[in-house]
Amino acid sequence: MAARFAEMVAHRTPPSSARDDAVECKFNPWHDPSDGRFTFAGSGNYHDAGETARADRAPGTLRRGHPWKRRIATGPKADRSRTARSAGHSEKTGGRGTTGARPRSAALPSSGQRNQAVEFVGGVGEGLRDVTVETIAGIRTNPVTTLHNAGHRIASTIDTAIAAEDTPARIQVSRAAGAVANASPREIGRAAGSVVGNAALAAAPGAALGKISTLRRVREATPPINYDPPQVGWVKENLGPEKAWTRYNDAATGARPGQAPTLMRTMPDGSKRPVKFDGLLDDYMIDRKFTVVNRPRAQAQLLRQSEVLAQHRLIGTWEVPNEKQKIAALKMLKQMNVNNIKVRIMKP
Amino acid sequence: MIVTQIARIIADFILFLDLTDDEILDADAAVEMMEWVGHRLETLDKDFLRQLVDAFAVIAPEYSGDSQKLVRDIPYSFYLEEELAADDPVRLAELEALRDARD
Repeated sequence: MAARFAEMVAHRTPPSSARDDAVECKFNPWHDPSDGRFTFAGSGNYHDAGETARADRAPGTLRRGHPWKRRIATGPKADRSRTARSAGHSEKTGGRGTTGARPRSAALPSSGQRNQAVEFVGGVGEGLRDVTVETIAGIRTNPVTTLHNAGHRIASTIDTAIAAEDTPARIQVSRAAGAVANASPREIGRAAGSVVGNAALAAAPGAALGKISTLRRVREATPPINYDPPQVGWVKENLGPEKAWTRYNDAATGARPGQAPTLMRTMPDGSKRPVKFDGLLDDYMIDRKFTVVNRPRAQAQLLRQSEVLAQHRLIGTWEVPNEKQKIAALKMLKQMNVNNIKVRIMKP
Repeated sequence: MIVTQIARIIADFILFLDLTDDEILDADAAVEMMEWVGHRLETLDKDFLRQLVDAFAVIAPEYSGDSQKLVRDIPYSFYLEEELAADDPVRLAELEALRDARD
């Protein structure tokens, strides 16, 4: 819907569509010459496709051939509306050229309509200001929470807008009219301004928030999370004569010859038992697998390693010699529902 | 006949590594030994490995209780069928589907 409207504004022509008879096209030819914003009928300048006229241009000069232009021709023109009302024609009975899309404001007296339009625009400004003020004030008081909540509100606004895209405009207008039947123009404008402000934050959050210098302090205020270095112990490990697999395991990063790094695992009864690995790199415990086997005892070892890593808030790495072993290792990790151990290939 | 005898030796050794208490046999050392046995099995001659894989199913009824299933599962847990189908993508895909269904 937004793309179609942009096309209409850019070309001042109705977008080509095979569904013209099914899709309701709207175009507001009224603009405020001072700031270029849309206005209500009877205020500002009247911009038709390819021509510009004053607000008091005579009606009936539009070509009537295209359904879209017929809608423009039957659009909000206070004078003709007054004429129609005075002649006793209602919209339901089908006045001349009426398509049923006539805005309600077209039936208002020009003086009252002018005041309500001004009230509406003022309300939009207040709504936009409220969004900005709330965002900045929230960042000053509790920046992380506010930005988090703002994210939720913006996401909710986007969801609402996406849902509204699929709702025909006339239904949206009907719902809005029912919801704000007793609201003043200023209140309606204020609500609209809030929505526009939130949409702007969602559309360009970087541009909008980047202008707030407080955001820099937000980044600086985020406390870095530091954990104690892993309490690694070392135990003797002599697995007999040197073979290819012992050489492979001993070549792990951080390994010591004849020793194995261990993490102390706390058992459910409070006792502690060491769990062996082959090496370590910073906070990563490394276990090398020359060949992956999926035996019950190997599964138990995997669960021990995963549990002790979780207790120490660490990540483990299985290093395997080739792609085939990596696939087998990944399958075993998935089968055992272990997600704090990663797999990578380290050739012998 | 010979492959069946060798299958029994391998099965007995793997059961020892699988079922010996942790107080007697270090669990991590047992796993590392099994990994090495797995490597040795993968590097066997493919024709002999085929016979060996079939032999585990033949000798499994000679064991009782959990041991019987552990012997029958040796080809599965050491990925021996995948080793035999290494050059056959279709068979590998089939084995993967079977493994996924089983897991």
